Amino acid sequence: MSNDDFRRELNSTFDQVSGSPSPGLRDRVRSGIAQAPEARGPFWIATVAACVIAVLLVGVLFVANPLRRPSSNVGPGVPTASPSATPSPSPSTSPEPQLPAFVCASSVAGQHPSSEPVAFVSDLRSGTHAGYDRLTIDFSNGGPSGAVELKPQSGTTFTQSPSGMSVTTKGRSGILVVIHGADLHSAYNGSVDIVTGYATLVEVKRVEDFEGVVQLGLGINGTGCYRAFWLSNPDRLVIDVEAGNQ
Amino acid sequence: MSAAVLEQRPQILARAAQGDLDSFSQLIDPLLDPAYRLAAVMLGDRSAAEDAVQEASIKAWRKLRQLRGDAQSLRAWFLSIVANECRMARRTRWFSVIRVADVPAQAPDDRESHSDLRRALMRLTPDERLPLVLHFYLDLPLDEVARTLRVSPSAAKSRIYRAAKRLRADLTIEEVF
Repeated sequence: MSNDDFRRELNSTFDQVSGSPSPGLRDRVRSGIAQAPEARGPFWIATVAACVIAVLLVGVLFVANPLRRPSSNVGPGVPTASPSATPSPSPSTSPEPQLPAFVCASSVAGQHPSSEPVAFVSDLRSGTHAGYDRLTIDFSNGGPSGAVELKPQSGTTFTQSPSGMSVTTKGRSGILVVIHGADLHSAYNGSVDIVTGYATLVEVKRVEDFEGVVQLGLGINGTGCYRAFWLSNPDRLVIDVEAGNQ
Repeated sequence: MSAAVLEQRPQILARAAQGDLDSFSQLIDPLLDPAYRLAAVMLGDRSAAEDAVQEASIKAWRKLRQLRGDAQSLRAWFLSIVANECRMARRTRWFSVIRVADVPAQAPDDRESHSDLRRALMRLTPDERLPLVLHFYLDLPLDEVARTLRVSPSAAKSRIYRAAKRLRADLTIEEVF
């Protein structure tokens, strides 16, 4: 069989298989196309609906923040619920049912339940909320072994340890936070003097980071009342400073 | 396709892309016959082939703005949509119907050799038949076959030759191209 014969026979076979299109094919196609724009409607509606659902889902996940990850080092944070730990003592009125009450005197926040000999502070985060500003102290390896003391004071001058030198923060009064069994240099490389720009918690300054004791001086405006509690996953100490009438 | 239509094709294409159905029909009408033949050989079913061409035309109408290149690219682009529609039709079809009435009557002498070739052809997969249809039946140039198959010209050449060899084992590449 020559090449031309092969081609001829092949094309003849193609003709047998396919035949000719029916005379109405053009009209059928045209009518199908004419109706096509109507078919676009549900497609676009479905696309738009999918986008709306995706946006809602992302919004819900963002608000719920199930991983409990901070959105930034310093800035407005999302208040996380489900306190896992020790409420601070001397309860008075509580604005949020799940959180401890604000107190205005010195107190001990208590030990973290899964305490480490030396807990490494990994982050200092601040945020502002209705009625209070928040400082969150993250630990990378569990909570500290010792107690956490919170000592409100009338001035904004703190004594550094071990140098004994004085440091002053912004604000009208202060709260000294003393964390036993922690350090601020193994896992933390952020600023040790954070000026928040908020109305109540205006500054956070390192006062001591020596021999397993971390002291932070909080410069504040407002009542000087606060609440402190532990949260987990990641382990963190939360200190809310109550806003007052400015 | 008439010379007048060929000359006006860029403008017609632009109008069609803007949603002008008459312009689109002007472009697509000359392609319906080759599209049908391609689909019929791929599917081995004339009715399913017309369905595939109709679906492909609707898809082409909706996606005309995605056509890359000029109006010269339209044929390869449209035929590739038809081929894809045939693949989808085969995937979704869970049964096949042999339409005995569609087979035309043949002269007794021709029947044997043609039926051998036809059997050999239908033993190929639809994707193996596709390059043969494009090259031998629709007589497309090699680069257009390649664009329809969305492969390089050398790969298209190879596919045509490989499929043709399965129909006739002693075929040389010179006899095919």
